[in-house]
This record gives sequence, C-alpha cells and structure tokens, in this order.
Amino acid sequence: MKVIIIGFGFIGRELIRTLNEKMEVLKSVDRNFKVIGVSTSKGYVYDKNGLDLERLSRLREISREYEGFKAGGSTLELIEESGADLMVEATPTNIKDGEPGLTFIKYALEKGIHVVTPNKGPLVVAFKELKQLAEKNSCIFLYEATVAGAVPVFSLVRDCLRGDKVVRISGILNGTTNYILSRMYFEETSFEIALKEAQERGITERDPSYDVDGIDAACKIVILANAIMRRDVMLKDVKITGIRRVTQEAVALAKKSDFAIKLVGTVDRNLEVAPKLVPINHPLCVHGTLNAVHLETDLAKEITLIGYGAGKETVSAILNDMLTVLKRRAKKKKGP
Amino acid sequence: MKFELTLALADRPGQLLKALEPIAKNGGNIISIFHERERPTEGYVPVSLVVDFPSRQNLRKTLDDLKGLGITIIKSEEVIETQRLTVILIGKIDLKTLIETKMENARVTGFEVSAPTSHESSVKIELEVPTGLVNKVMDDLKALSREENAVLISSI
Repeated sequence: MKVIIIGFGFIGRELIRTLNEKMEVLKSVDRNFKVIGVSTSKGYVYDKNGLDLERLSRLREISREYEGFKAGGSTLELIEESGADLMVEATPTNIKDGEPGLTFIKYALEKGIHVVTPNKGPLVVAFKELKQLAEKNSCIFLYEATVAGAVPVFSLVRDCLRGDKVVRISGILNGTTNYILSRMYFEETSFEIALKEAQERGITERDPSYDVDGIDAACKIVILANAIMRRDVMLKDVKITGIRRVTQEAVALAKKSDFAIKLVGTVDRNLEVAPKLVPINHPLCVHGTLNAVHLETDLAKEITLIGYGAGKETVSAILNDMLTVLKRRAKKKKGP
Repeated sequence: MKFELTLALADRPGQLLKALEPIAKNGGNIISIFHERERPTEGYVPVSLVVDFPSRQNLRKTLDDLKGLGITIIKSEEVIETQRLTVILIGKIDLKTLIETKMENARVTGFEVSAPTSHESSVKIELEVPTGLVNKVMDDLKALSREENAVLISSI
C-alpha cells in the first residue's frame, strides 16, 4: 500500500516517527507498505519507491532540508499524481469551513483513495457529505483521532458493539479544561490562575477560547452524534456553556457534596456542552488532561473509556486506523 | 400508584385476612405490611400497608369495601417517590426570588452560599423533588438561570 501524508506539523512528524518505529508491524500486514509522499503548504516530497522515514523523522521542516523537495507543489497535485492508496490528512483544524483539509479529503475520496484523518474541521462541517462520498467511491474513511485522541471510541462501537444501540453518550472531551478544573479542585485555585498555569505548561493556546468556551468539546459532540448516533447535526445545534464563569467557590461547594465540576459533553435528545456536577465515584470523574467517554447502550448498558485526548498519544489512533485500512484491503485481495 | 394505608383491625383471629381480600380483589399489589400485633389499643390492632394500585379509582373501591366490612381506615395517603437533586448557580442571584417563586415543586433540603471572593456569588441548593416533577423543576431552574444571567451547574 502506498501512503501519502498531508501536513508536517506536530502530528504529521510524530506519525512519521511512529511509522518508522512500527514498520515491522505495518509490513507484517502489508509487505509493500510505504510512504511515498508528504506535503506541506509550501510544497511536497515524493518518491515512488518510498521516502526515507528515518531521515524525515529527524527533520522539523521538510521544505529545504529534504532533497527532491518540490517547492510550490500543491497537495492536490500530489494526490492526483502519486497513485496513492491511502491518504492521512493532518493539516491544522479549521472549524469554520474545514479548509484546507476538507478539499483534500474530498479530492482523495473522489479519486478512490482511502482516507484516515485526525482533523476535526472537515468532519464538523461536512460529515454526511464525506461519509456519502466515501461510500459512493468504495473508500474506507476513518477518523478515530478526531475525538478523545487515543481513546478508541469509534473502533469500539464499530467492532465490538455491532448489535448494540447507543442511546446516550457523555464525555470529558477536552484535556485543557479538565486540567484547569482539576487544578481548581485539588489546589483550590481560581480559574484565572489555573488557566495561566495551563498556558505556561503549553497545554492550551495563547488564545484559550477554543478550549475554555467549550467549542472544541462541542465539535467532538457533533462528530460523535453524526458518526455513532447517525444524526445529521452541525455545531450550531449544540448548546454550549464554557467554564470561564466557574468560580473557585463553586468548585469548593461541589467538592463538599462529593462532586467535581467537569466540562461534560452530552448527546441524547439534545446536544450540550456545559459544566456539570460529576459524582467523584462516577467513572467519568477523571482528572488532569485525561479524557473519558461514557456510552449508554441497550444491551451492554454502560461502558466508559478513559485515555489521553491530545498530544503524541493521538498517533496511536491514527496508526490503528491505518492498520484497519491495510487489513481490510489485504482481506479483500485474499477473497472470502 | 403507591398508597400508604393504616387500618384498625379488631384484635380477633382472621381479621387481617379479611382486610386483605378487598385489596387483592381490586387489583392492589401489597408492597409492604406492618402488623403491630403486640400493641393493641382498646381492642384494635393497627396495620400499616403500602399498596400499589393501578389507579386512584381502585383505591377508592377498596376503601369502600373495607368500610363495608366494618374496618376503620386511620390513614390513606399517596406515597410520593422523591429524588434528591444538587445544583450550583453562579451569578448575581436574587435568592429571595429563587426560594419563593421557583422552588414550589421541590423541598429545599440544603442551601449554601459561598463567601464571595469572586465578583459573582456561588450558591449550592439541595432539593427533594417528586420523581415525576424532576424535569419540570430542572426547566424552572434553567429559566431562572436565564433570567438572572446565572450559570446553572446540574448533576450528570
């Protein structure tokens, strides 16, 4: 299988490093596995015989440091001409219009190329369209890393809960706000101090509104609702309350009654992201930057998954999606 | 619908069985029964029952039948199942309005206001609400938090 990777940011670089490390696992499923192209906004590198992942994984930028770099070459050109079987789309998230990832994913699916992405943007704005496009072109389209990072929620529902009907999903889906609320709970600090600490530790962006105003968690609620509960909803359908107004005193009052205040996203009749009182002995009550997803189904009743929602752990989900594509393709080739 | 009944039975053999017959005949399902056999008062023994009837009408019919048998009914009350709710409100909240007008369907069992070191005050309210009215009470609280521009933090 020939793979191209779009984006050479934090996730793109971590992925290449991991693919290099896990080459044996990948080759055991598909001995012809190779990464033939990597593109950035400035151009791309391409080698039909496979790129040197060892070298690539040591670079911070590929534009000038990798020979054969095609400056100004567009990603669409790489998708068009590489003859790739699988594209990993890892450009920065844009929830307003999903671009540039949305165009790349649509273009690849139209060409019959399987797609794996950790990019929430395209799924938030055009989930249904992408899903239909993938089906129409018989492509596998996987996006495990878009929600709760390394936590395998879509894989679990797809492979292990085939007969269950998921009736409700709730979750702690943003590590930054969970870190802030955990500091407020354990250290009894104010929101402002906990936020400053998160910024100093690099857990949140300089402009934290995407996290603290609940928008990031709401994007994940949209994807969960569309992908798992087969809804057709957009970001505007989620009622969002962030954590800016959660006071130190409110956290202390909750703690006295054995609750922690957490930013919880919920999919049931309504879609909501809001600070909630979570009993301290409830499985959703995880602390620090951890994420948790709680599924309620008709047969299994309740299942909770806990893990890291951001950072390099996310690569675990991308790699598993890639291996899923490889395995399904290998099975198809072999026949029934 | 569950009802608590207290009957005064004559302190003679066979009286309890006699009292249970109309309950069964009218579709009542006995959930608990407490027969204070060792505490007869003026020749009568109090018996307390919790009975689940399909409707109020079944209860009324049962009470009529019991009276017809000469059994005195000391008490007959609907058992209201309640649920405990804890919520926190953050904002410049008018507590008087909160208690007087919005909590009519619930009993406030706990109330705590934090020392306001922040510019907004935080209030924790613990409520006992009839199970059938939980959604109504939550809707009232949501409406109140909107009117007062407060943040409502409810339990998951």
